[in-house]
Amino acid sequence: MKVTIKSWTGVATWRWVANDDNCGICRMPFDSCCPDCKLPGDDCPLVWGTCSHCFHIHCIVKWLHSQPQQQCPMCRQDWKFNNK
Amino acid sequence: MSNKKEDLKIYWNKINYAFPILNDTIFTDCSIAEYEEIQQIIVGLGIQIKIRDLVFVHIEKYLRQHVAPSFWSKFVKTEEDVKGFQLFKSAVNDLYDSVSQFSGILERLTILNNSCNDSKPIYGEKDVISGFKQLVRATLLAQLPLDFQVIINNFYKVSFNVFDYEYENNDMGEDVMCNGCLNECSDCNCMYIVKVFHDTNRKLMELQLLERLTGQVLTNFIQMRIESHIQKLCTGTFDVSHIEFLENWLNTNVMSWLTRIYCSGSSKPSPDDSNTLNAISKFKQKLSYFLYHSYTKLRIDQLFNIIIEYPDSQPAVDDIKICLEKTDLRSTLCKSLQSALETRLLHPGVNTPDILTAYVTTIRALRHLDPSGVILETVTKPVRNYLRNRDDTVRSVVSSLTEEGAGSELAEELVKFAAEADGDSDKDEAWDEWNPDPVDADPTVDSSDRRANDIISMLVNVYGSKELFVNEYRTLLADRLLAQSAINTEKEIKYLELLKLRFGESQLHFCEVMLKDISDSKRINALIQQDKEIETLNRKFTSNAMILSAQFWPPFKDESLELPEEIKRHLEAYTKSFEALKGNRTLSWKPHLGNVNIEIEIGEKKLDLTVSPFNATLILHFQDKPEWTLDELHQVMKVPVTILRRKITYWQSMGLITEKSTDLFVLVDGSDGNKANVATNQVQEMICEDDETESVMASAHDQREGELQVFWSYIVGMLTNLDSLPLDRIHQMLKMFASQAPGTECSLQELRQFLDTKVRTHQLVYQGGMYKLPKT
Repeated sequence: MKVTIKSWTGVATWRWVANDDNCGICRMPFDSCCPDCKLPGDDCPLVWGTCSHCFHIHCIVKWLHSQPQQQCPMCRQDWKFNNK
Repeated sequence: MSNKKEDLKIYWNKINYAFPILNDTIFTDCSIAEYEEIQQIIVGLGIQIKIRDLVFVHIEKYLRQHVAPSFWSKFVKTEEDVKGFQLFKSAVNDLYDSVSQFSGILERLTILNNSCNDSKPIYGEKDVISGFKQLVRATLLAQLPLDFQVIINNFYKVSFNVFDYEYENNDMGEDVMCNGCLNECSDCNCMYIVKVFHDTNRKLMELQLLERLTGQVLTNFIQMRIESHIQKLCTGTFDVSHIEFLENWLNTNVMSWLTRIYCSGSSKPSPDDSNTLNAISKFKQKLSYFLYHSYTKLRIDQLFNIIIEYPDSQPAVDDIKICLEKTDLRSTLCKSLQSALETRLLHPGVNTPDILTAYVTTIRALRHLDPSGVILETVTKPVRNYLRNRDDTVRSVVSSLTEEGAGSELAEELVKFAAEADGDSDKDEAWDEWNPDPVDADPTVDSSDRRANDIISMLVNVYGSKELFVNEYRTLLADRLLAQSAINTEKEIKYLELLKLRFGESQLHFCEVMLKDISDSKRINALIQQDKEIETLNRKFTSNAMILSAQFWPPFKDESLELPEEIKRHLEAYTKSFEALKGNRTLSWKPHLGNVNIEIEIGEKKLDLTVSPFNATLILHFQDKPEWTLDELHQVMKVPVTILRRKITYWQSMGLITEKSTDLFVLVDGSDGNKANVATNQVQEMICEDDETESVMASAHDQREGELQVFWSYIVGMLTNLDSLPLDRIHQMLKMFASQAPGTECSLQELRQFLDTKVRTHQLVYQGGMYKLPKT
């Protein structure tokens, strides 16, 4: 008997590689989206700061707009986007 | 003195001569002229009042002793209709004759009465004649025998027969028997019967006995006729409206017959006889009410069948609608339909989809019958309760919602709703067409709610929440998306849009993401296929992936499966490629999900199959080594033995693997395989199907259990502090403290179930109605 695989369709779930499960601002899972978004993933990406904390991009942008100083909400260091 | 005595004797004799009734006979030769003289004597003696009263006493006695008994003696029970007919006729004739013999006496009595000048009523009547008639009636009825109705019944039966056939078929030429009088045509009695009939009725009418004597019988009789006519006409057919026809029948056949009875033969009442006209119109009202009543009753008995056949049976429903307005049978209808539903529909022998179909037609039919929805609400309550207890209700509803093609009424309903929603939805109801709610409506419910409910929301309301339905739809959609290799996303999106209109955007947001995942996966697949490494790997076989957003899919059943090395390499390469494509994201594979297209060459035969990864892995292992024990398979595949044993049957049914001895499986090789394969072809189909229908999603029940788990820590906290609590206290406290938890509204019943499972796993103790933590 010889078995030949012609095609293999697997099923996978994607997730963000991050050091936490939930966004520290909206408390939603990273793999879900921020409260203002409907679609996760590309439409609601994560961003990392130089302090290594990460958030939904929409969340942190909103946060930074509402603050006089640009600080990370978790560690109060100056917020800088980490473009790794 | 003696002279006077003599005179008095002569006078008395003369008075006796004028009123022979004083000696208990009626016959006398006394003429008017002779009486003039006697009258003067009476007036001269001034005893006119006494004589008058005396005469009446004697008349009364005579009637009581002679006329009435001889009349009633004719009323004997008889089996034959015709004999009864004759008896009644002769009784009435005799009565009429003996009453008319009184005419002479009455004439004289009138003169006598006129001379009395005391204007005293005679038996409650003003003049002698009507007083006498009153007396006759009273005397007769005072001696009414028990079963007097029997021969009256016979009499009317015979004559009605004649009339009936006179109307219904005028050409009786072909029958040997006359349908009217049931005699042979040659000596048909119909004419005679008609004549006697009219004669008798006229006499009774004159005696003013018609109403009292025959009214009851007549009514009974006609009602019986109406009932049997309705039965004959209306059983079994629901697609024709009968009301007009019946009304017509009543107006022509029955009424003309009745008119003839009252008007002694003429088919039209004389317009100035207001008494008769009144009587007839009263009778007609009674009968027409009865007609509607019995028709409605019949229809109500058939209502379940009518509903099942709806909309073909619409005319019948229309009929009932009209009838309900004229009769007082709403509550009867509710009760009988409810019990019909319970006995015929709500038992374990009926499939859930069938119950649902019946429920849907019930909704449609009753909505048509009663737009206010009150009947519907009352009647379908047991159906809803019953459906709530069936496990597969939600699934059946959801699958019929999304089913394609004919026979899926719910899918049509969904589309219809969409069309309505597109149209002007907030048109104001015309205020002048407003109707109050029926009396049996529940006043606490807003009537507009009741009206607005359509079929789908009625179904959804079975459970009281949309959420369950949406969840079930999500599971169903997930299964479908994962099972099909080529998914018709367009169709799914179309359905999703329809459902959104119904359930709202937010509820179905998850499903939207799911569908987007599938279309995104296609795009990502296309991109990844261009990767160099993947390209080389793909020379052997193409690997694709469905990449899902885990948060938005229903939880998957956890199943482990160790894939063959080669596949793992492929998947790893795919993951790498994905990571390169989407920064900071990675994939976790669900090895047991997906589908594999394989080709098996065995002997000269080639099998092209699409199987689950599990089955593919299994057969790949057998390719490497033709003999495996279950334990060995368990080692390499990391799948529990029980599941292995269950799933290996797939290949067994294909005839590729056999169980050589207990737990030892061997590959069937070469030409043997061919034979086995052919032989078991049918089994294979069966098993395959069985395999597919199994959902890969965790069941709704499991999910709910998971959600309730949120409460567990609260409950433990409560019980630690308060020692023991009854169920409703726990429920209340949870409501107070834990209601903020997202998506967890928990009913008392659910909580009970949840706590009971905890009791079963010994995490709780239930004692005397109180829940407690077990002592450690």
